[in-house]
Amino acid sequence: MRPLARIRYGIAASLAAMLVAGAAPAAPIVTKEGVLPFGTELGEDAAALPTELFATELAGGERSYQQKLGDMLFSSPALFGGVAKQAGMSCNTCHAQGAGNAALFVPGLSSRHGNFDTTGALFNPKTDNGLFDPVTVPSLRGAKNLAPYGHDGRFASLRDFIRNVVVNEFAGPEPSGGVLDALVAYVQDISFLPNPKMASDGKLATATSQAAHRGEVVFNRPFRHNASMSCATCHQPSNAFVDGQVHDIGSGGRFKTKTLVNADFNAPYFHDGRFDSYDQVVGYFDKHYDLGLSDGERADLVAYLDAVGDASTPATTDTVQTELDEIAVFVSVLDTAIHDHNAAIVAVAVDTVGGEWRELGEHYPEAKNTSVTAGLKQRGTARAAVREMVLTLRQVDMAAARGDFDAAAEAYADYREQVAPATSALAAAEPFSLFDPSVRRQHFAALARLAELAK
Amino acid sequence: MQSFFQFSYLSRGALIAAFAAATISAATADPLTDGAKAYKPFAAEHIGIALAGAKELQAAAKGGDVKAAQAAWIKSRKGWEAAEPITGEFFSKLDDAIDAWPDAKQGYHAIEAALFSGKLDEIAAPADRLVADLTEFDKQIKAPGFTFAPQGLLNGASKLAYEVGENKSKGGESPYAGTSLIDMGENVEGIEAVFKLAFEPALKARDKKLAAAIDDKIEDVEKLVKVGDMKKVDQAALKRNGEELAVLLQNAASKLKLKKPSIGE
Repeated sequence: MRPLARIRYGIAASLAAMLVAGAAPAAPIVTKEGVLPFGTELGEDAAALPTELFATELAGGERSYQQKLGDMLFSSPALFGGVAKQAGMSCNTCHAQGAGNAALFVPGLSSRHGNFDTTGALFNPKTDNGLFDPVTVPSLRGAKNLAPYGHDGRFASLRDFIRNVVVNEFAGPEPSGGVLDALVAYVQDISFLPNPKMASDGKLATATSQAAHRGEVVFNRPFRHNASMSCATCHQPSNAFVDGQVHDIGSGGRFKTKTLVNADFNAPYFHDGRFDSYDQVVGYFDKHYDLGLSDGERADLVAYLDAVGDASTPATTDTVQTELDEIAVFVSVLDTAIHDHNAAIVAVAVDTVGGEWRELGEHYPEAKNTSVTAGLKQRGTARAAVREMVLTLRQVDMAAARGDFDAAAEAYADYREQVAPATSALAAAEPFSLFDPSVRRQHFAALARLAELAK
Repeated sequence: MQSFFQFSYLSRGALIAAFAAATISAATADPLTDGAKAYKPFAAEHIGIALAGAKELQAAAKGGDVKAAQAAWIKSRKGWEAAEPITGEFFSKLDDAIDAWPDAKQGYHAIEAALFSGKLDEIAAPADRLVADLTEFDKQIKAPGFTFAPQGLLNGASKLAYEVGENKSKGGESPYAGTSLIDMGENVEGIEAVFKLAFEPALKARDKKLAAAIDDKIEDVEKLVKVGDMKKVDQAALKRNGEELAVLLQNAASKLKLKKPSIGE
């Protein structure tokens, strides 16, 4: 279904982007009374989510409260102001699971799927630069090793970069030091995905294809007109394939060197997403630096980039359990916040987790939804369970807001007791929910027919 | 009992008060029974508005008047949304037929997408069916023997309080008509009518503070949706206040000797 949506907008998608976005039909915004432009696609309807791994957990540890707080805040619309807040957007809307978002398209701000103008008037009129200069949404995997930040590398610190996104790009209130620290802690822990084709020193593993190995040689070979340079000069294999610098490569300014690690899943390429494929990227560099590559060398270089940019599990199917796991991480913030009598964090956590529950509930079509007929009783039970979770959480917030943290703890205990039966109800109804591919197809096909009728 | 339509000229708040005043003389020993009786004319009035609008829609469609048909759809929908605390709870089959989506063959949404893109020829059959379904609804709700069970009223109001906070900025249920703000305003009025007419007198006698808290919370929600432009609705605050209202209504259940309201489907 995804390719059909792409054709509709006249944009070709790479296989990698399709994998990350999931094989789901697009569900653009079709109302004109909302704050986002008609036709906006946020990619939130993806059936598969980018895999998100954390360095702490890969090392066998457990993430800290601060990291989990940052994770929750990353998915909270409360950080933003203006249109983004109104639309319920969060950092995670664009950086889905800490990765990019090849499906993102905002009419008037995007020149193609996967980019948008962060200095346009829609999200913050005060920082509108008057130019149409859309940029891609960078993956945050391995961000700890990828300074400087921003496409033009203007921020040496991740903290300053995040503050800029919140305050200037999305008109949010000035975040507290604690909020910024938590967001930094979370982002810095997002790991590159494992890639069995690569050795730890940035060289190809021996089992990788012959073509990729030949490409590795080309990658490290000095340019024919400048022997002091090769692809590896900037994309340093032993340094996450970056050099921490900005360069003018003829693309319209000075832009930071992008990592090639897991880059198969970071399309579209270049700061503005002008290229869909490695073949196009290699073609550009061949021409710009007059590298004189043969067709075979170009193909080998592409095979090498494919190998370097790969990952063993780039995407994870969205299931009830994956959603519940995420909710469990977010809600765990309440353990500390209630204990510390921190009503502000309780409020943000309840709003955010409640929102996550509501989104989960929307996966279960209501009785009046004509696109789904089976599992009516199970769906009803699941929807009711979700609503109870939301309202029990709300009781936590109401108690904390009036300063009664004993009552908040009691309501939170009730919430925890309800998780198991709610999980059972959701699992029983999963075959009749949008987590099921056929139900999903029916539902989105019905929406598409309706949109077609309304044209 | 006064005529269902004689209060139509009044403002909404005054309308609810008028319905309350009209039923005082019929008081019995059970305040919840009295409350349910007091609420019935309000629901019947609004189903009547929904039916009248549907008939106007039917006529406008036959006459080829797109603008009039659209205005009639919105009028009908307003009546429906104000009655929503009871539509699914007490008339689930008719509710499923009248309010099915996304691409139902009957009901409001079968008409909406075609009507608001100017395709009158597509709506004749569903408009006829809508009139028939609402006529049946109107008949059932106005039947002298029909009464609202207080538990169902509390369920319906609590459920709608939760739903009013659903994010409508992406289109809500009626994205092509673009009536989300109207829908929400009518929903809040509908909740207010249930509370004021069916439960407030009894709750005031048992827990004055909780009754006042619910009244205040309804007012908070009302303020959030009465901003004139969907783009100005504070979605996060609306969701939060809608949930708080649902919690308060749940809390009222034990005071009223009712079960904790179910807010599922």
